[in-house]
Amino acid sequence: MALLEIRRVSRAFDGVLAVNEVSFQMDEGETVSIIGPNGAGKTTLFNLITGLDRPNEGDIRFDGESLIDLPPDAYARRGIARTFQHGRVFGNLSVLDNVLLGAHSRRRATQARSSFLHLARELFYGLFWPSSVRQEEQALRAEAEMILAQFGERLLPRLHQPAYSLSYANRRRVEIARALMLKPRLLLLDEPTAGMNPAETAEMLEFLHTLKARGQTILLIEHKLSLVMKLSDRVVVMDEGRVIAEGAPEVVRSDPRVIEAYLGHHRTGEGVAADEVAASQAPRAVVADFSEGAI
Amino acid sequence: MESFLRTFSDQTINGLVIGNIYAFIAVGLALIFGVGNLINFAHGSVFMVGAYVGWVCMTWWNLPLAVAFVVVALVCALVGMAIERFALYPLRGAPPIAPLLATIGVSFMIDQAVQLLFSRNPHAFPNPLIEHRFQVGGVTVGAIDLLIAGVGVVAALTLYAFLRFTRWGWALRATAQDREAALQMGVNVNAVNRMTFAIAAALGGIAGLLVGMYFNTVYPTMSFQATFKGFAAVVLGGLGNVPGAVLGGLLLGLIESYGVAIFGATYRNLFAFVILIAVLVWRPDGLFSLKPRVAQEPLTGTFIAKGRPVPTPKWLIAPLIGVAFVLPILVPNPYLLQILTNAWLLGMVALSVTLVTGTAGQTSLGQAGFMAIGAYASALLVLRLGWPFELSMMAAASISAVLGTLLVFPAFRLRAAYIAIATLAIGEIVNQIILNWEGLTKGAMGIAGLPPPSFLGWQMIRPHEIYYFSLALLCLAALTQWRLVRSPLGRTWRSLREDEIAAQAFGVNLNRYKTLAFGVAAWIAGLSGAVTGHMYTYISHETFTNTTSILALTMVILGGMGNLLGAIVGAVTLTALPEVFRGLADYRYLVYGLTLLLVIRFRPQGLLGTD
Amino acid sequence: MSASNGQPLLQLKNIDTAYGPIQVHFDLNLHVHAGEIVCLLGGNASGKSTTMKVILGLVQPLRGTVLFDGRAITGLPTPQIVRLGIGSVPEARRIFAQMTVRENLLMGAYHRKDRRAIADDYERMLALFPRLKERLHQRGGTLSGGEQQMLAIARALMGRPRLICMDEPTMGLSPLYVDRVLALIQQINAQGYTIFMVEQNAHLALQIAHRGYVLQNGRIVMEGSAQALLNDPEIQDAYLGEKQ
Repeated sequence: MALLEIRRVSRAFDGVLAVNEVSFQMDEGETVSIIGPNGAGKTTLFNLITGLDRPNEGDIRFDGESLIDLPPDAYARRGIARTFQHGRVFGNLSVLDNVLLGAHSRRRATQARSSFLHLARELFYGLFWPSSVRQEEQALRAEAEMILAQFGERLLPRLHQPAYSLSYANRRRVEIARALMLKPRLLLLDEPTAGMNPAETAEMLEFLHTLKARGQTILLIEHKLSLVMKLSDRVVVMDEGRVIAEGAPEVVRSDPRVIEAYLGHHRTGEGVAADEVAASQAPRAVVADFSEGAI
Repeated sequence: MESFLRTFSDQTINGLVIGNIYAFIAVGLALIFGVGNLINFAHGSVFMVGAYVGWVCMTWWNLPLAVAFVVVALVCALVGMAIERFALYPLRGAPPIAPLLATIGVSFMIDQAVQLLFSRNPHAFPNPLIEHRFQVGGVTVGAIDLLIAGVGVVAALTLYAFLRFTRWGWALRATAQDREAALQMGVNVNAVNRMTFAIAAALGGIAGLLVGMYFNTVYPTMSFQATFKGFAAVVLGGLGNVPGAVLGGLLLGLIESYGVAIFGATYRNLFAFVILIAVLVWRPDGLFSLKPRVAQEPLTGTFIAKGRPVPTPKWLIAPLIGVAFVLPILVPNPYLLQILTNAWLLGMVALSVTLVTGTAGQTSLGQAGFMAIGAYASALLVLRLGWPFELSMMAAASISAVLGTLLVFPAFRLRAAYIAIATLAIGEIVNQIILNWEGLTKGAMGIAGLPPPSFLGWQMIRPHEIYYFSLALLCLAALTQWRLVRSPLGRTWRSLREDEIAAQAFGVNLNRYKTLAFGVAAWIAGLSGAVTGHMYTYISHETFTNTTSILALTMVILGGMGNLLGAIVGAVTLTALPEVFRGLADYRYLVYGLTLLLVIRFRPQGLLGTD
Repeated sequence: MSASNGQPLLQLKNIDTAYGPIQVHFDLNLHVHAGEIVCLLGGNASGKSTTMKVILGLVQPLRGTVLFDGRAITGLPTPQIVRLGIGSVPEARRIFAQMTVRENLLMGAYHRKDRRAIADDYERMLALFPRLKERLHQRGGTLSGGEQQMLAIARALMGRPRLICMDEPTMGLSPLYVDRVLALIQQINAQGYTIFMVEQNAHLALQIAHRGYVLQNGRIVMEGSAQALLNDPEIQDAYLGEKQ
């Protein structure tokens, strides 16, 4: 059974379909990338998969269970973690606290069955710090440091610095560490290398390779296609809300529809469909409309 | 039946006339919100300035009414421009809550300045019109009604023509619709901002003059009521929607007028607050928008400046507490002890504010409402049920926690400036309920004869006794809060302050954690209210007002948001400062307002830094 | 039109720009001569739109100078830059949605004082854009995307600019309107207007442009005549992957 299954999902904003009948699935352990030009609907799709937004139509199933009617905070509890396109670290929290928050839905206090019990537990634990809570906190802390250690000396020396003081690349790393702290069954990364220089990008690629080798399931949005090609098992190409191609990286890369989506429509070049040639001749006729008066 | 019809039509006329005035206020607020995306808390103060300038024109200078209108409009326009220039323009680029807080500071300053100039007492406002009431088809209409209606129509037409047909009017509309595009057309948007303030202030001032004439009186506290009526009208019509503001004003006037006819005059102010909350929560785009959608709100809900807290060495805490404990022995001055007792009790309120606003990021201006609930609960438990104080105090705090959280709960979905208005309104609703639920609270009479606080047989009558008791409670509250904010719970609270979306993506249930924050805060504020009530031995709906709420927030901003020691330092500073410099006592609110303005402008992280 | 003496009308020299810790431009250099159509191409997040904002004074560069007609305009407030003669067709058009088509057009001439000439230009725009003439008293927000783009261009022309900056003028338009807009750009250029445009749609933009620059991760990686760029096989790489 597929881990994630997206079935004919659509989402419209003010009548414009940002995501238009998108379907695809991914299996446990796979790395799938979604690529496409700006405004293709990639981030909207991420928001739908993580419960921050709701589809107008379609179904999203995770491990066989439909997620559509769950409250946003339930998605994390099922093991879905994400990073954000423009970065959403908690600016005034320390690096360590940022990462620890990733474990929020794993903490004992949040496992209560009713909201009342949950609140009572949080309050009790917060006031009296029973030893079980101390131990849990210490274990999580050790785990967080282990995760941060995977970035070498990038973040460990900055453990107690507020996240806003970090460089852009480091903030992205913190976000990924926070997501890993959830022990995600599905990790969604939205442009993890945006704003990174080539050296940092190469480092991130290596890191993602390690994750992948460990069997982490990854759904990736990325613009740096060389990275996508090296990392992905499969690539899903979106344009204007639709999936226009899907398949192995090499196949997708040479797909004419993909090239067209990125470069724009060839109007006079070779191999253009007949109806497009017709459209390209329209301007001559239209010019007459404009040229009535001089500017 | 006939008398009912007459009453009904009289109330309709009444409502429309008052509504007309609300519309004046609301249009100004809508213009400012539209152009500057700012909720202007100083608008009512400008309105009051208009009323006083009108009063001066007519009683001191005996100017004709028409001239008074012109003078009022000009003076208020200047005041509006000055507010924009000196309080708001320097805050460009600051988080959106900063200019809002600055306008609160400005309103404190203007209100106190007017009090100093003209005294707290109301002045009779002469009515220059002929006292004649017309009977039109069974409806009674006075000359003043006609004047207000006439001025309203003329002003509406003038504004419409200005916006529609003049270059500046176009610049204003373009800026309101798309500030960046307007810039690219060559519009000087800063000048447009200032002009908008001038127009809004002139309209507000004229409204003040009309209200003075209508009720034949001017008084300093008319300012706050006007601000709130304006907010309610603007929210009804949809924030930033000018025609909507006019309709919202008229509608509010009618609702109030009919409501008063049905329930009685003391209910007058309740309607505006209830409408405000209801619309904000259930229809944030106002009644007249065609397709309701969630109003745009900034993501950061509170006023947290970057910067780390000033490190406070742990060893310093014990000596500080020690000094506070030996002080009554060293300086047995009852006056000083009384002031410090106030500081400790207000310090608890400041702690509660710093929890919801600083740590959890929900800007609260309604903390006095929790105090009032605590004070009344304790008073009633002691006086009616004969409970001992130590028990009633704890019960009162818990009642405040439960009731307070339930009251704020509908506003949980709001953020930033909206939750600030909503909590302010909730604080006000608490006082309105106290005023009107006479069977329980004795209404406007208040409750007298509260026994002084006692603890296990210890009756606290002398100043140093209550001093120690409140100091102990403050330390207890600080310790409780310190444990909470240092725990994983505190981390979760901070995460929702920083970014609700990201917190939610990691499984944080926003409503539950807001409930917890408001619950704990209302508990502490309620406890402070209970002790304060018994210390005063008398409480009424005027004991715990929005002024206290705003003062508590100012203390927190001064000390540094989310900073526990900062809240206490802020409380001591602002309580003691006007007393230490005895000359300042009369200028107390001027000091508070100025402090707020200066801190926001020059040290947004507060004295001890945000945490 | 001035600047036929070889001095470019617009010149960006050594521009570095950053949003907080994210650097957007690295030593950006480009120029536009009077009478040209120059396009700045690039994929997602390459820094194209920020270039427009730097020229218009909406974003201040960390380093470097923007010269307009030989004069440094870096640091000037946007309204003043507009008054000097740089018109803008912003990204996503940014029509004043609640104002009528007529008001939108006249807003374009907001910074001008010559009433009579404005009236003349207004008449000319109506002649040039018959669709807008039919919709003069409709609100801008009720127009279709293509009509809004026409309005945005007409609004910019109303300012009698010496240089028009267009940010993705074909974005989100139907194929028919894409062609109309491109034809229109070519036509107004023939009337003597200098045009600097940012485009993602490389093939289309290069068909009407004289010269082009390709921006990748904040650096100019290619420049040349439109024909040369069109025929360059590497342009595909520049869009679809990094040059290693």
